[in-house]
Amino acid sequence: MTEGLRVTALFPDEGTCVRGVEAVRRAGVELTGVFSPFPCEALHHALGQRRSPVRLWVLLGGLTGCLSGFWLTIGLSLAYPHVTGGMPIVSIPPFVIIAFELTILFGALSGLTGFLVHARVPRLDPEPDYDPRFSEDRFGLIVRCHPAHGALLEAALREAGATEVRHDRA
Amino acid sequence: MSGPGRELDYAHVNRLVLRTLTPPGRAYWTLVALLAAMVAAGASTWMFQVWTGLGVTGLRQPVMWATYITNFVFWVGIAHSGTLISAILFLFRSRWRTPVYRAAETMTVFAVMTAGLFPLIHLGRVWFFYWLLPYPNERGLQPNFRSPLVWDAFAVSTYLIVSVTFLFLGLVPDVAAARDAARGWRRRFYTVLALGWHGTVEQWRHFSMAYLLLAGLATPLVISVHSVVSWDFAMAQLPGWHSTIFAPYFVAGAIFSGCALVLTLLIPVRRLLGLEEAITPWHFDSLAKVILLMSLVVTYSYATESFIAWYGNNPFEKTTFWLRAFGPYAPLFWTMVACNCVIPLLLFSRRIRRSLRALFVISLFINVGMWLERFVIIAGSLSTNFMPSQWAFYRPTWVEMTITGASFAWFLLWFTLFAKFLPIVSMTELKEGIPWLRQAHEETEARAA
Repeated sequence: MTEGLRVTALFPDEGTCVRGVEAVRRAGVELTGVFSPFPCEALHHALGQRRSPVRLWVLLGGLTGCLSGFWLTIGLSLAYPHVTGGMPIVSIPPFVIIAFELTILFGALSGLTGFLVHARVPRLDPEPDYDPRFSEDRFGLIVRCHPAHGALLEAALREAGATEVRHDRA
Repeated sequence: MSGPGRELDYAHVNRLVLRTLTPPGRAYWTLVALLAAMVAAGASTWMFQVWTGLGVTGLRQPVMWATYITNFVFWVGIAHSGTLISAILFLFRSRWRTPVYRAAETMTVFAVMTAGLFPLIHLGRVWFFYWLLPYPNERGLQPNFRSPLVWDAFAVSTYLIVSVTFLFLGLVPDVAAARDAARGWRRRFYTVLALGWHGTVEQWRHFSMAYLLLAGLATPLVISVHSVVSWDFAMAQLPGWHSTIFAPYFVAGAIFSGCALVLTLLIPVRRLLGLEEAITPWHFDSLAKVILLMSLVVTYSYATESFIAWYGNNPFEKTTFWLRAFGPYAPLFWTMVACNCVIPLLLFSRRIRRSLRALFVISLFINVGMWLERFVIIAGSLSTNFMPSQWAFYRPTWVEMTITGASFAWFLLWFTLFAKFLPIVSMTELKEGIPWLRQAHEETEARAA
């Protein structure tokens, strides 16, 4: 990690923040944090982020739920082989309903777990670079750079549309 | 632009919504105390029923399912609008859902919590409720997965858990915003609930995917839940219940009644919490159009059901439907038809769809009508079964009526507490939808001019 200066830039909207990201990229310094008050597709694209792996959690959870549903219904029906309504002991059509519900249940809970794991929450220690305005009306970039690059970087960020640029010792 | 939407920007959205979380006054706590007292009255009445036995209710052979099961179906149905508005309309990228979906989603959770009480209240020996759960046991009880009641237990439990998950996930960024603006114990409360959310783009990436997929999972779930509830009846060989159209018919009815209750709650909440800027007449107009569509679907279902009873030429089926319209429950049936099929036709008028007073009154009629629909189907069909010698007229006793009233208080109590302590409108989505909200304000102003 680059030692020295932490630069925090605040932007009024998504467009200027995207320009700020591009300016940081051009300057070749390390972008350590990007904040926004709501999800922004343009920022994801600017940062070259891939699709979230949470979808795999949901898929695996759903498959586990489906198999669990059939395992539960078939297994318990075989353990209690009691004929009702003239139907076979293993009656697949009604068991599909249980398997379907468990697919949804496990998929949802697994998706929530995936979100918690990848978003790194819950956490009680505050993010050191966080500014409460990020949850209100400001988009933010946190950049670490050599102190000698601070002034140039600030100029580039202001040109991109930053309304406020702060320098702190990293 | 000169109207109330002129100040709409990100910071204003926060101010608008966080204003609803200011410490409540005496009137609020009086309402909470009143609702809590009604819940206590219901709980005491239930204790009386548990102590004395189900004989204190009006349940007699052949009507062993009546008011309590009606309440169960009614409240599960109420829940459906929340998922429709929050999940299904999210997938369709509907613009008007933004300021109303959180309230509807909240309703879903509390309505399922209310519905879940009734199978327990309906039990004669509630302390043996766990006998209903299908698990291997030493008592020799067969876990019968071919029974619709077991499907119901799975469907409703899944619905509750997934709805809570969906609501909670959507709340996290908003609670973080509340945390950043709060002081004292509220700040600590929101800090715990916000889970350490800081709105990094990385967090948003996972949030958006989780939210999208939960919406995708909730959509088939909501359709399955009321279908399964309808099969509690449709699987039985009882005239008036045994029908293949029950699943779509019940799902449509559920969305119809749920959207009506969203109106009933949101119209006063908007006024009391000062959310006029966030929720405009255009939003109510859109919601009213959904209600109108669902009313037409429900009316079509009533007509189809009756037509098939006549066309099928089964004497038991024909008699049941004849007695539904002209038998002892006829006044309830015709009230239901008026409330669900006739009064909602007023919503064809744009002027009425934009009049909040008219919408509020219409929504009350629909609530009454949809409760009666379930009652007429459940109790009405049972009271006149295959054997005329067994026919009996069911009438709820004070015990059932008190518990029914208390269930409304229980639901409203949770909703009232939520509305004052957690953001009832999503700030995140409102910020994303500011251009559409401005457009809604401009349209409202243009119409007023």
